[in-house]
Formats: sequence, structure tokens, C-alpha cells
Amino acid sequence: MSANDRFLEALLGVQSSGGGVDRKVLARLLLQAARSIDAERTTAAPGVAPLDPRFEELRRVLVGGEIDQLARLSRQIDDPEQFAAAVSRVLPNAIALADSRDQQRLGQVLAPTVERAAQASIRKDPGALAGIMQPVMLPAIRKSIGEAIDGTFQSLNESLKASLTWRGLRWRFEAWRAGKTYAEVVLQHSLVYQVEHAFLIHRHTGLLIAHAAAATAESQDPQLVSSMLAAIQDFVRDSFSQDASGGLDAIRLGDLLVWTEQGPYATLVGVIRGKPPESLHDTMRATLAHIHEGHPHSLEHFDGDSTPLAAVDTDLQALVNLRQEARAKKSGFPWLLFLVVATLLALATWWFLQWRSESQAWQRYVDRLRDAPGLVVTGAVKRDGKWHVTGLRDPLAVDPITLLDGTGVDPAWVVAHWQPFLSLDIPFTAQRLRSSLDPPPTVTLELEGDRIVGKGAASRPWLQKARAHVATLPLGSPGVDLSAIRDINEGELGRLTAAIQSHAILFDPGEALPSKGQDPLFERIVADLNALVELSSRLRIAPRVVLTGHSDSTGKGANNLSLSVARSEAVRSYLIRQRGVTSSLLAVRGAGMLEPVNDESSDIDRSINRRVSLSVVIDE
Amino acid sequence: MIQKKICMLGAFSVGKTSLVRRYVQSVFADQYLTTVGVKIDKKTVTVDGREVALILWDIAGEDDISTVRMSYLRGAAGYVLVADGTRPATLEVARSLQSRVSAEVGDVPFVLLLNKIDLADQWAVPDAEIDAMTTAGWWVRTTSAKAGIGVEEAFGELARRTTAP
Repeated sequence: MSANDRFLEALLGVQSSGGGVDRKVLARLLLQAARSIDAERTTAAPGVAPLDPRFEELRRVLVGGEIDQLARLSRQIDDPEQFAAAVSRVLPNAIALADSRDQQRLGQVLAPTVERAAQASIRKDPGALAGIMQPVMLPAIRKSIGEAIDGTFQSLNESLKASLTWRGLRWRFEAWRAGKTYAEVVLQHSLVYQVEHAFLIHRHTGLLIAHAAAATAESQDPQLVSSMLAAIQDFVRDSFSQDASGGLDAIRLGDLLVWTEQGPYATLVGVIRGKPPESLHDTMRATLAHIHEGHPHSLEHFDGDSTPLAAVDTDLQALVNLRQEARAKKSGFPWLLFLVVATLLALATWWFLQWRSESQAWQRYVDRLRDAPGLVVTGAVKRDGKWHVTGLRDPLAVDPITLLDGTGVDPAWVVAHWQPFLSLDIPFTAQRLRSSLDPPPTVTLELEGDRIVGKGAASRPWLQKARAHVATLPLGSPGVDLSAIRDINEGELGRLTAAIQSHAILFDPGEALPSKGQDPLFERIVADLNALVELSSRLRIAPRVVLTGHSDSTGKGANNLSLSVARSEAVRSYLIRQRGVTSSLLAVRGAGMLEPVNDESSDIDRSINRRVSLSVVIDE
Repeated sequence: MIQKKICMLGAFSVGKTSLVRRYVQSVFADQYLTTVGVKIDKKTVTVDGREVALILWDIAGEDDISTVRMSYLRGAAGYVLVADGTRPATLEVARSLQSRVSAEVGDVPFVLLLNKIDLADQWAVPDAEIDAMTTAGWWVRTTSAKAGIGVEEAFGELARRTTAP
């Protein structure tokens, strides 16, 4: 290195070591440089002041370009925006470089930052990260959920099928006895399947590593089958799936299932007949994992020679031993269901019979009501568990409740609404006639066809009253015929009455006892009275014979009245005591002098007025 | 038993199916070729006293429309190219297939069967061309599936080559 070069280097070294320039050092260096050219130069440089502007000039000439460049660079570094722009230009390359040199280091350094960034992003807006993750997560979640649902449905199916059978009950008992859950026992029993074949297939070549088959299984050459399975996997993957790691999970053909589990180097294919539980997937996965753990090297470098992998036969054999025997078909008969259905049927039948017998009883009652005179049924329905009957009822009609007897209808279940009305039924009309006409015992009102016919004998006033009443009966009433009722005063009774009333017992003036010599008269009177009693009992009438005492007009009125009463009393007493006439037949009355037979113009007239007369009264 | 995955490729009607029918144990119907594009057959040969099962992936023939599914070639230990000696165009197909297959599965043993050698009067591949291919490192066999010429030997040799350490 020449002196000049050293000089320049020193100069630049000074320059780069600090912001300003130590001009003394610079001067000394320049002096040394000058001395190297001319040794005669003295140490001191006369006339050269440390602040000589020429040094500045010299410096500018020597390193002006670098100074400008440095200033630009420092501006760039000091200004954050410019510095960031500069770094951004090299950052991707720098990261790529660092990653290629030491992958782990960069990952470790960045991991906390990335984690924090992810946390911050999630806190700020979870949607953004979810959006990013969705394409990855969704298929995985879908698959997982699908498998879970498959499993659930199958278990549910089996449980439902099992829960209502005799077998189901037995399993519950078994679960209780063995301390297991019911689901475990159901799984143990209800899933009938048989793993017929297990193929372990090398993923890369499709060659068969190992195969096991159940004793009963039919099979083609397993080597060909395994390769064909691999080819079909490829075919499906090529045709439908972009994802090289996916493939056929399951193939179903009738009751034959082909389930596939993919491992890193080998695929395990199970050919299953029947309905395996979803948990068989887990079993297969576990088997495959076990095989991979046991022979990772042999599997990875499999070249068609399966001898080193002979041990996996045991695993496959264990798989094909998985089976669930079908139960005897007989026990599958759902006895409990049958029992439930039978009970329901019996209940329904009982209810139907009950309902029918109730309905029939009710119908019987309604028919009775309809048949009963004076009752009109307008409605009969069952509502709110009670029988409701509505209609019209004549007050004279039978009490509807009494008709319930013998029908089998519980009176407590009957609600009746009866409106009163007047029935024109003949019996009711007849009853009303009897009530309002009050016929004497000698009269009967009887029903003949659609008419009411009166029979017997009655007094004329009653007959008149009765006829007047019948005329006022409403239009449409049954016909009433009173023409057959005789006037009671006609005929024998009339004659006898006339005979009795023609008698008169005479008295002497002022005397209360009858005059002498009237015994024959009394004989006749008694005979007539007895005849009346006899006739009246035949006619079923109750006549009375009134003995009316009279006096003549001589003497005072009050005396005459008491005299007349005394005379009638005397005759009554005589007839009862001496002649044996029934006492209830005879009544007495005093008329005094107020009812003379003759004007008293002579003693004969007066003697005729002094008498007791008889009159027959027939009670209506 | 040792198994080897061998792919069989070639243009249409070069006699692949005849080869398979006559010399190969087969359980799957020919329809697989048209539906799935591949049919698996097996040829068992004895190499040095040991049985070797050649699992033959008979891959659907190639023409202008259909192309071979390359995923079927994965893991092949060797392959058989079949061409029709009476139709030079099929030899071209075989050549094209070879370059693609070797790109896919790498440098594995293969044999080119020039089939239909029994049709001598129609033979269209000059010996010089065969020699040229042999010189270029190809292993070529003339066969007749119909007359039973050269097939067994070809399979035996392929088995030997693929199982060679």
C-alpha cells in the first residue's frame, strides 16, 4: 500500500468515525503527507491555522460525493416513511432467505407474533378468520358430523326397534343385572353383522399385503380384488375428488358393505355383511393404526414381498372374527307391542260395547219418553259426558225420572229441560174434565175410542154445568159425549121422591107432638124412606130427607118458629127411635109460619099448615 | 409370495385382450376396461424356484380420444407395451406411451411386445427398426398371442427383471 493510499484511508477513517472532522489530525496528516514528498518540511506549518477554510475545501474535494450519499442515507433511515418503504422492498426476499437458511428459527421467532396477530384478528372480527378457515374446516366438520349422525341414527333405530319387544325388556334386565348401560347391551345384541373379509392394501402399488376371510365367506382371488379396489379408489378419486388423500369411505351393495380406512402407507378394507355398528369404523381405524405402529418401515418400503409383514395376519384375523350372530327369529316377535296393541284393542272394544250399551239404554229411555202421553221430546243428545233431553211436558204426564227405572241409564247422567204445555191427549182431557166438572159418584167419564163418554145419572144443575163446560173446550179437543147421563130426578128416584114429599104429618094447635091417629101415615113414610135408602145405595147417591116444621099463623112469630123446629125434631126423633130410620138420613129445619100451604081462611086451612113436610135433597 | 404391479398398455386392438385371455388368470369382465378404464388380471410365473404374481393392470387402450389415466400407473414395478406388428402406427403409440409412462413411474423394467408375428405376410416393422430400438436400450419381443409364440418367455423375463435385487 502506498503512502498516499494510507493517507486516503486514514482520511476516510477519520471521516467515517464521527460526524465532524478533527482538523488538527487532518492538518497533521497533510503535513506528514507533505513531508513524505518533501522531508524538509517542518513540523509546524507556519501560516496554517487550524480553521483554515482550505481544509474544508480540501475535504469537499476529497469526499464530497460520499458526504452527500451519507446524508441521503441518513435521511432515509431517520424518516420512518422512507425507511419503511425501503425495508418493504427487501422484506419478502429477506424472509424467504431466512426461511431457506434455517426454517425452524424463523418459525420460532415469528410464531408468538403470528399468534398475537391471530388473537387480535379474532378479537376484532372473528368472521375474517372464520372465512379463511372455512374451506379447510367445513369438509372436516361435515364429515365428522355426518359420521356422528350416522352413528346416532343407527343406534336410535336399533333402540327403537328393540325397546318395544320382549327382547328389549330382556336386554333392559340384562343391562340392570350386568351394571351396563342399556345402549351397550343393545349394541352388543342388536347389530347383526359379520366381517367377511379384511384386506390390507399397499396404498402406493395397490398390491395386497395381507388378507383374512371368514370361514363362511366366498371370495375371488384376493390379490386381484385388492388391486381392483385400489383401482376403483383411484378411479373415484380421479373422477370426483380433487383431494388426493380422500377416497371411497364406504361402498354399499345390498347388505354387503365395503368400508375403507386410509392409513399413511396402507389401506384397510373391510367387507361386511349385515348391519355393523358405527363403532366398527373405530375398530378398523384402531387396527390400522396398530399395524402401522408395528411395521412402519416394512409398510413404507413394501415391494411386493409380504413375508416381513406376516404378523399383520393376526390383526386381520381378529377383525374377521368380529361378528354378531343373528338371534333366533322367534324372539324377535314383538310380544310387548302385541300385548300393548291387544290391550288397546280390548279397551277399544270394551269402550265401544260400553258406549253401545249406554247408547242403547239411552235410546230405550228416549223411546219410553216418546211413547209416554203428555211428553214431547224435541232433543236428546250426549254433551260433555251427560245425556241432555229437552221437550214439552204436560203437568199431568208421568214424571220422566220414573221412566228411567229398568232402562239402565244412570239418573245422575241425565239433564232434563222440560217446558210445560197442555196436552189434548184423551186421558189428560178426561182427567181435566173430571177435575173441573167434579162429577157426582153416579156419573162416570170413560174413554171409548177417541171420545170421552159420560155415563150414569146426575142432577139437572150438574148436567147443565157440565154441558156448558164441555162447550168451552178448545178446538181439536177429544169429543165429549154426556148424552148418556140421565137426569137423576127422573124414573124411580123421581117417583119415590115425589111420594116422600107428598107426605105431611099434622099437629094440633100449639102442640109439638104429631096428632094422634097418624100411625098408618108413619107406616107409609117409613116404607118410603126405607125404599129411598135402598134405592140410594143402589144408585150410589147420598140423599137426605129434610123434615121441615111449620106452624099456623096464630100466636107470636118467635114461638111459631121454635114450635116448628120442635115439631120437626119430634118427628125425626120418633122416626129414628120408634121406627128405626137411619139417623144420618134425616135433617130438621124450622120454617115457622112463613111457608104456609094454604091461606088461613079457615081452621082446616090452619090445621093443614100445622105440619112437618118432607123434602128429598140429593147432594151433588 | 412376491407380487409385482405390472401395467399393460397399448393402442386399441393390438392384441392385449387376446394376451390376457390366453395367458392370464382373470376374474373381472372386460367391461371394466370401458367403465373404470382398467382391469386387473394376474399372471403367476416362477423365477428361480420362487412364485411371482404379476398383478397386471390392463389399462384401457389409447387412441385419439381417450388417454390413459396416469394414476393407474402409480407404484408399477414394470410395464408391458403392446404394439401390433402389422400396424406401425401402434408402435408410435407405444413409443409415446413409453415416454409418458417413464416420466410417471421412473426407470422401471418394461418390455415391448410386437404382437401378431403369426401374420408374417402383413408384418410391417422392419428388423432394422427393431434392432435400432434394441440398441437404444429397449427390450423388444415379437409375440403371437394367437399362436402362442414368445408370450410366456416375455412374462417370465419381465418377472425376473422386476424381482432382480
